[in-house]
Amino acid sequence: MSDATPVVPHQAGEFYAWLWWTSESQGSGIDLGGDVGYIDFWVDERLAFRSPAETRVSAIMTGDNSSTSLESRAALAGGKVLQELRIGIKRDEHEFKVTLKGPAIEMKQAKLPSLIGDSEDAAIYDRMFLYEELSFVISALLRRFSDLRTSAEWEQQTVPAIRAWVLGEA
Amino acid sequence: MLTGALTVRRFRVEGQVPEGFRDSWRDQLNDLAFREPPTSGGGKEEIEGWVQVHNLLDTNFDDFNRWLYMPYALFALRVDKKTLPAKLFNAHLAKKCEAWAEDNGTERCPASVRTRIKEDLEDEWLRRTLPRAAVTEACWHIDEGWLVLHSHSDGVADRFRKRFYRTFALKLLPWSPLDWLDDTEVSESLLGSAPTLDIMDAR
Repeated sequence: MSDATPVVPHQAGEFYAWLWWTSESQGSGIDLGGDVGYIDFWVDERLAFRSPAETRVSAIMTGDNSSTSLESRAALAGGKVLQELRIGIKRDEHEFKVTLKGPAIEMKQAKLPSLIGDSEDAAIYDRMFLYEELSFVISALLRRFSDLRTSAEWEQQTVPAIRAWVLGEA
Repeated sequence: MLTGALTVRRFRVEGQVPEGFRDSWRDQLNDLAFREPPTSGGGKEEIEGWVQVHNLLDTNFDDFNRWLYMPYALFALRVDKKTLPAKLFNAHLAKKCEAWAEDNGTERCPASVRTRIKEDLEDEWLRRTLPRAAVTEACWHIDEGWLVLHSHSDGVADRFRKRFYRTFALKLLPWSPLDWLDDTEVSESLLGSAPTLDIMDAR
């Protein structure tokens, strides 16, 4: 039996920051191509930060406009790392909300669209189909980030742009 | 898993699904299903076993239509534990020891007697106490080899993984974001990378 795939410690924090920056600076729409296609996504009402050397959350921003507040960006500017990020996703008629948590990018409090199946069996299939759709979109976002993160563009253009945005220079 | 918001931890299922898995898994789930302790017994120890996701009292897996929704298998781990209210119990124990000492004309109750009184009182109270039942649901995509557990607790995950292995002889491995990528080159590049968003460094 093989072992578990390792987790890159800084991947999730950078992914969350990239999601936040992308939604704030480039509008909420993104075309993920392939089978996923165009989605809307936005940072919702919760951002949780930790110190780089720790795993416990040390600051939480909640409420309306928490993603656009100066306090939230000040946490990043102060050297904190995003530990949790609540995002909304709209794909066609399906709207999801989910908190992405920790280095393993686990799903917390995922709200799925309303069910249409009227029997217990149909409800189970609907729920799992919607969970898979949400996973499908999140994995596509992660792939988009990872492709960028491992390209020259990341250090040459994206990192300076994110730094400028965090420091209010953009 | 069937209603409300989902808080899930994802695992990769490692190992081969055997031929004729439906019957063997039904038997294994039944073998390791939750069993109520005898009505007269049931101590402080935890009791665990599989139940259906529909109702924690449904512990029989003979009907495939109640747990096998191909390509998914849904079941839940139930863990029962009885706990006594410590302060109230200790107060009653003290009163019983005082009564024993008075009956026997001594100032204090010897340790051996106190232990016996405590054990008898515990047995009596545990017989009258209902357990706290924790149920953790899981959904397993059999064809794609992943499972989601409706909990983020490390302790719950460890317990579930052990029982899952005992039941199915398959290993649950924690999911990594790299498992989403399906690209060895990108994964290796990320594994070898250093953090780049140290914003303060840019100041």
